Amino acid sequence: MTEQVGAQPVSAHKDPVVIAFANEVLDGFSDVCRSLRYATFLTDDGFEVASIAGDEKQNRRVASMASSMQALGDAVAKDLRIGGAEYIIIAAETGYVIQMRVPEHAMVLAAHFDAAETVGKALSVARLAASNMRTLVQEKAA
Amino acid sequence: MAEHVILFAGPMGAGKTTAIESLSEIETIRTEATNTDRETADKDTTTVALDYGEITVGDEDKVRLYGVPGQRRFNFMWTILKERAVGLVLLVNNDAADPIEELDAFLEEFGELHEKGGIVVCVTRSDVAATPYLDKYAERIREVMPGRMIPVFTADARNGDQMRTALMSLIANIEMTAMIADSQERAA
Ligand SMILES: Nc1nc2c(ncn2[C@@H]2O[C@H](COP(=O)(O)OP(=O)(O)OP(=O)(O)O)[C@@H](O)[C@H]2O)c(=O)[nH]1
Ligand SMILES: [Mg+2]
Repeated sequence: MTEQVGAQPVSAHKDPVVIAFANEVLDGFSDVCRSLRYATFLTDDGFEVASIAGDEKQNRRVASMASSMQALGDAVAKDLRIGGAEYIIIAAETGYVIQMRVPEHAMVLAAHFDAAETVGKALSVARLAASNMRTLVQEKAA
Repeated sequence: MAEHVILFAGPMGAGKTTAIESLSEIETIRTEATNTDRETADKDTTTVALDYGEITVGDEDKVRLYGVPGQRRFNFMWTILKERAVGLVLLVNNDAADPIEELDAFLEEFGELHEKGGIVVCVTRSDVAATPYLDKYAERIREVMPGRMIPVFTADARNGDQMRTALMSLIANIEMTAMIADSQERAA
């Protein structure tokens, strides 16, 4: 289980500052990566913090499903005693979904790329977005 | 007899994860996440995918116990796990805002499991909230699923013995349903 930031009184999806951070990071994310179709930050328990593209209903659904996926990934990794799940990739015919935790926070990034992107590039930009989010939230807490 | 898959469903904080933990003979698989919805249930974590445990019944029958997330936004997991199940332990916490309404909602979602094997209802946390009494649950069950045999128990999800009693009554029901189906098939 990841730790919450300090004694954060408001959870991320209800905190306007965190939501603004998430939007900022996602905007930068789509600027550097044209093949990004969709991205969302969600709380570990599946509430949408912020998203780019997608409609409201879809965003909520993606957030719930990504949260389940993340937890299942962690459960498998734990059961095999291989440490925490670093990222999860779903490769489909016309694109793929990458998701990973914002380091040290109860928050997850889920991003959908079209098949034009290489997995390596997609992974590295997703990592960057997650780590930028971490930095912003950390600075706020400090 | 085939291996049974039993589903544990019910509202957030009813005790599904706790019940499977109390019953399981293996180390359970959990998918708990930090709970940010403290208004609905004031606890640290909530299930976001599933719980899994196993218990042996009789000499060798293995029963697989699956818990679902209680929050409706995870209802895609309900659909996935419902497919495999032959029986339902429906847990309702008596201290919910409107437990009878919860009973109703979950019977609507999972009521079909009665036809697949059976349902048992466990009312938890009645030490926290004394009412509604069991007869209110029984009454509502009669209204929404008339003519079905659905036992109602009070049980503490933390108590393995109490949960086992409820589970055994469900399994007896499932086996009966299977036997009846079997004999009908043979008669046809
Ligand atoms: N006092 C009391 N506490 C109970 C009883 N049954 C369960 N609990 C507690 O109620 C809480 C139930 O939490 P969980 O087992 O996480 O509930 P859940 O149904 O899995 O909830 P979600 O996964 O969030 O849907 C735990 O803290 C249990 O210890 C009971 O009969 N009395
Ligand atoms: Mg649970």
